[in-house]
Amino acid sequence: MRKLLRVYTALLKANLSEALEYRAQIFLWLISSIFPLVMMSVWLALLSEAKQIAGWGQADFVSYYVGMILVNHLTGSWLLWDWDDDMRTGGLSTKLLKPIDPFHYHISGQLGWKALLVIFIVPVIVGVAVLSPLVTFPLNFLTSLTFILALIFGFILTTVIACTFAMLGFWSTQVRNVYQLWFGAGQFLSGFIAPLAMFPPAVRSIAYVLPYRGYLGFPLEILTGHLTWPDIEFGLITDIIWITIFFILYRMLWKAGLRRYEAVGA
Amino acid sequence: MSIQVESLTKHFRVHQKEPGLAGSIRSFVRRRYETVRAVDDITFEIAQGEVVGFLGPNGAGKTTTLKCLSGLLYPTSGTVQVLGYTPAKRDPDYLGQFTLVMGQRNQLMWDLPAIETFLVNQAIYDVPEAEFRETLDELVALLDLEPLLKKQVRKLSLGERMRCELAASLLHRPRMIFLDEPTLGLDITAQQAIRTFIREYNQRTNATVLLTSHYMADVTALAKRILVIEHGKLRYDGDLQALIEQRAPYRLLRLTLDHAVDSADLNALGTIESRDGLEVTLRVPRGSTRDAAARALSTLPVEDVAIEDPAVEDIIREVFEMGEVNA
Repeated sequence: MRKLLRVYTALLKANLSEALEYRAQIFLWLISSIFPLVMMSVWLALLSEAKQIAGWGQADFVSYYVGMILVNHLTGSWLLWDWDDDMRTGGLSTKLLKPIDPFHYHISGQLGWKALLVIFIVPVIVGVAVLSPLVTFPLNFLTSLTFILALIFGFILTTVIACTFAMLGFWSTQVRNVYQLWFGAGQFLSGFIAPLAMFPPAVRSIAYVLPYRGYLGFPLEILTGHLTWPDIEFGLITDIIWITIFFILYRMLWKAGLRRYEAVGA
Repeated sequence: MSIQVESLTKHFRVHQKEPGLAGSIRSFVRRRYETVRAVDDITFEIAQGEVVGFLGPNGAGKTTTLKCLSGLLYPTSGTVQVLGYTPAKRDPDYLGQFTLVMGQRNQLMWDLPAIETFLVNQAIYDVPEAEFRETLDELVALLDLEPLLKKQVRKLSLGERMRCELAASLLHRPRMIFLDEPTLGLDITAQQAIRTFIREYNQRTNATVLLTSHYMADVTALAKRILVIEHGKLRYDGDLQALIEQRAPYRLLRLTLDHAVDSADLNALGTIESRDGLEVTLRVPRGSTRDAAARALSTLPVEDVAIEDPAVEDIIREVFEMGEVNA
């Protein structure tokens, strides 16, 4: 454990310095933050015809999508792309030679970028929330804690999902497409295109038990005060179940994949 | 024994595709696979502290064998034991005791100075601070890294990068070193620096070294014993010099002539290996190389003369053409 901590500290330092080398990329990535605002403007246009939609007013939508910028960044993951590059170029071989699981490289890489985020984006979002009367995050001490917990679960969830899909790379070269398909399907069920409150109850209850909501809609609903206790508990437990399922899948595929790994390009 | 390999076999299933769009469509509908025997029933042992050269043409199975020894590949059959471990089990204790340096692969973090990779490796291999400093100082001195440490890796030349690469691979003081084409693409000076370093490292630490290289000089400078592999089969296991003298009992006499001469005059000295304008290469029996060179100088309009050993690939190829070899 102490060794792992040393490894993470070293990798984090290196990854953070590496991330800072890519100033243009950081800039582009900050710009990509505005996608949720595009969805927001669609909903605000719809709202101009009705006062409320499914009980949600202007402030609800604005808060939801501004909050999404934050949640999206903090739970988002491009691990799959990292893994995929590694498998195609043989970079995985270099990592496999080391006495730590390649998983740790990827996670610390993600955490390095997340650290940058906390520095760049969190202050902006907090600033907007304080200054704009339309953006309200009605959190108390307990819901703040559950929000942070839901964010952490969301990050772990996207991580194990990405790892699971990445393992298919041992068998196929089409992993990126498969993942895009999965992710695209999730745009509806995660709460990105519409808050899940907009859906008919039947669809909503399906979305509640699927893994997509865990990394977007669920933390957001807590942040914007649309969720109360037994529902929060249900969401957290759903997260844990999916994390467990995907983690087991990932490790099984990893073990099987290593057996047929051909160490190409290295 | 520090390496024990018994009946190691590794097969790959390779997807076959006919050329052109029609071929692509056919292969989309129905994939055809062919089994390639990259390594086929190989057995050998290597003792701690030995330096062994691993030779063979491209695609012979050298790298595949090294990958099996490093735990990157699961053997199809047979057993591999290195330092008492089964590499494919990827026991962290084993992974911490060897290194595989690949001339065409980079473990250094591209956008950062090499020292950053060294520090990450220190943590990964759990090297105590004092030991780390000591090893690093040694490596810096031996490989002349001082001016390179703080430069971004992507700004280093190939030779500089390879030196840093070696240092990164040796910071944990491995007892077992696998080198796959460590001097690939390097100039003569850089090749020599790497060779000298590997020899000194072996003498000082008694680490076992198994290396593949296309450069004869790498192998002759470092290894007394060689393993020759072709089409996945082990063809020779034994003393390098003995193999060369026995199987390639000639050297090459390279002449640069002032003006053209008759082939007959050249044939009198040795067999013509190649002739390109005024550049002539002759095969001369090993024992009479000096004689032949002297005669060439006195009987032919020679501008320049050089005596070389045949390229290792050539010797190996001839070994194969002559059929099975026994040590």
